[in-house]
Order: sequence, then structure tokens, then C-alpha cells
Amino acid sequence: MACQGLQGGETVASLKRESESLRKKLEEERKKLSDIELNQVAEKIEVLGPLSIKTRRVLKGHGNKVLCMDWCKDKRRLVSSSQDGKVIVWDAFTLNKEHGVALPCTWVMACAYAPSGCAVACGGLDNKCSVFPLSLDKNENLSAKKKSVAMHTNYVSGCTFTSSDMQILTSSGDGTCALWDVESGQLLQSFHGHTADVLSLDLAPSETGNTFVSGGCDKKANIWDMRSGQNIQSFESHESDINCVKYYPSGDAFASASDDATCRFYDLRADREVAVYQKDSVIFGASTVDFSLSGRLLFAGYNDYTINVWDVLKGTRASILFGHENRVSRVRVSPDGTALCSASWDNTLRVSWAAYL
Amino acid sequence: VLPRMSSKAHGSNNIAHARRTVQQLRIEANIDRIKVSKASADLMNYCSEHARNDPLLMGIPASENPFKDKKHCTIL
Repeated sequence: MACQGLQGGETVASLKRESESLRKKLEEERKKLSDIELNQVAEKIEVLGPLSIKTRRVLKGHGNKVLCMDWCKDKRRLVSSSQDGKVIVWDAFTLNKEHGVALPCTWVMACAYAPSGCAVACGGLDNKCSVFPLSLDKNENLSAKKKSVAMHTNYVSGCTFTSSDMQILTSSGDGTCALWDVESGQLLQSFHGHTADVLSLDLAPSETGNTFVSGGCDKKANIWDMRSGQNIQSFESHESDINCVKYYPSGDAFASASDDATCRFYDLRADREVAVYQKDSVIFGASTVDFSLSGRLLFAGYNDYTINVWDVLKGTRASILFGHENRVSRVRVSPDGTALCSASWDNTLRVSWAAYL
Repeated sequence: VLPRMSSKAHGSNNIAHARRTVQQLRIEANIDRIKVSKASADLMNYCSEHARNDPLLMGIPASENPFKDKKHCTIL
């Protein structure tokens, strides 16, 4: 790249000193506003009663590890993707497989349902993200209509449609995130700042404006402005790779899951970590997180095959869900908050909900 | 096609990288922040306002099919 020489008085050393003093200032500013801890403020609210969340459906059909899943806006269909290249669209109520497509690559790490419910996107080791329109004709060969949209120089770890079927946002092992036009495949914006593989991204809830959060192997979680490509805020408190990031339903905060066996909660307006969800008995990496509708519960899937349900405000564990026979790769709450779907390396997906007699 | 991440910083890239870091930190250091007490109160308010409509928290009747369309009362 065309490189500018040093500007008046500037040396690499002086720039390094300035960045050190800015980092210190950042820490001081954040500390000044830490007048109390979230869990202390939450002491006055009632402890949660026992939760009656149980697995009610098991979706069998994948021949290998299920790596990702996403709910359709209709709240009952979902799409899942697997290590063996298969992508399946299910009706979670009838357990019917409505569509299936085999990608030519293995490790389809990312899949997403389009807002219209008429298409799915998926990607992985092929370094691409492709969109498949879903046909009403079950016999139609979905692969024939495949549209390659995103092109990265390393694996695609995450993808999501934005507010419409027209744009997708991807995260990649190449260290970047990118926004693409589905119709033309054109790159609309790229997001640079992570210094290692980006493993996850999540779009802010629509009321909050055009931002998204990403997390990766550099242990950082970054907030981005979608229009300018600017990295607005950055959080670095995890001690290992961040595997998953998810916004709190109000859009004012987000949670992260990490190989350091903790999940953390960051408030965007306070610009700092406000909770750490951990236990001495929880020693395996957390791979995935999602919030319940009210934001009170945080579901987190771990490499020890369990799902811990955390009380977001009090910082304690509210429940633990067993059942999977291998790592939990993804947890997602359905769009109306009724059900939790978990995907696992045990080749199954489980759908759970809370019921009372 | 996006350029692959380079893990090595070459001589001339050091300056550009250092300058970018300083610019980025300036942006981050200068944003407006609120106190954790206020942020916490707002998070708690959001949870309590939406708790009664949270089916995983409250549960649904065992006889009900969770996948059928529901008619909600929404608080305006």
C-alpha cells in the first residue's frame, strides 16, 4: 500500500507512547463510572423460582456434528447445518424435514434464515456464503438455484441477513466482517480491526440502529457502525477466544461466550463489562449464548455437553439442562421467546420449553 | 475478495499500524458513558417490564402447543 512517511515529530515510539496513555485514559474513564456492580443493584429483586424448561423434541437426521442453526420468523421452522456439508430445513412442530441441500464443502459453520422465510444462507470451509431460495416444490433441487454471495479468504464462521433478504453480514477466519448485496454479490462494506479469526457476529435489534457486534480469537468483542465501517467500541476482558456474541433484547448490552469457560455481559452505554457468569465447577469452554425474551435468562452451551441457564442480573446459575451427548455448538431462543433450540456435535437438535400443569 | 490478514508487521506498516491504533483509541476514549448504577437500573427495568411475556421464564400451560399462533395482549 502507498505508505506515508513519518509526520512532523512523530515516531513509532511516540505513537506507541500516545496509544499507551490513551489506553490508560480509557481505563480511568471506565473506572470513574463503576459506582456499583450489577449484581449488587440486583440484590433487591426476587430470586427466580425453579424453571420448568425441558427438552420436548429431538430432531434427528443429520449424519454428523450439527454446527449451527437459526429460527425462521414464523417461530416454528428452523435451518441447521452440519460438518458433513448438509443443510436441513425443519418444521420443529411436526419434526418434518422440509428441505435438504448438500454443499460441496464440509464444516458448514454458519447458516441463517432470511427474514421473509423464503431463503437460507450458509457458509463455512468453502470461504463463501451462499443463498438458497426455498422452493414450495419439495422435489426441486435447491443446489441448482444456489447463489454465491460472500467471498472471504478464509472460512466463514457466521452469517446473518440484515433487515431484509437483500443484504447479508458475514464473519470470517480471515479476521474481517463484511456486508454484501445478495443480488449482485457486491461487497458493500468491510470491517477491519480484529487481529485474528472472527468467530461470531450479531446484529443489533432493529430499534437500536445500524450496528453489530463481533467476537473472535483475539479475545476482543467489537461494536461496528454498519454504514461507515468504523469500530465504535471494543471490549477485551476474556482470557481466551470469544466463540459467540449476542445482543441483549434492548440493544443496550451484549453477552459473550468464551473458551475461558466464562460468559460475560457488557453494557454499551457504561462501556464496560458488568457481569461474569462463571462457577468453579464450570471448566469447559462456552461456545454459544442467547437471551430469553425479557433478557433475564442467558442460555449458554458448553463443551461439557451442558447448557447453563444464568440469571443475567444476579449473576447466578438458575438452571442446568442436560441431554446432549456431545458439545453444544449453538443455542437459539425462538423469535417469540417460547422455545430454545440447541444444536450439538451429537448430530441432533433439541427443542425445549417451559410448561406448567 | 478481501485481503488475507497478515500476521507480520513489516517496517513501513509499523507506522501506519501505530497511527491507526492511536486514531482508534482516540475514538474509543472520547465516547460518552453513563454510570454502571444507571445502566444496571435500566437493564433491570427492561427485564421486569418484559418478564410476564417471557414464556421460558413464566412457562406455558402444559396442554398448549407452543408452535401455534398466539394472540398476545401487548402493553401499549
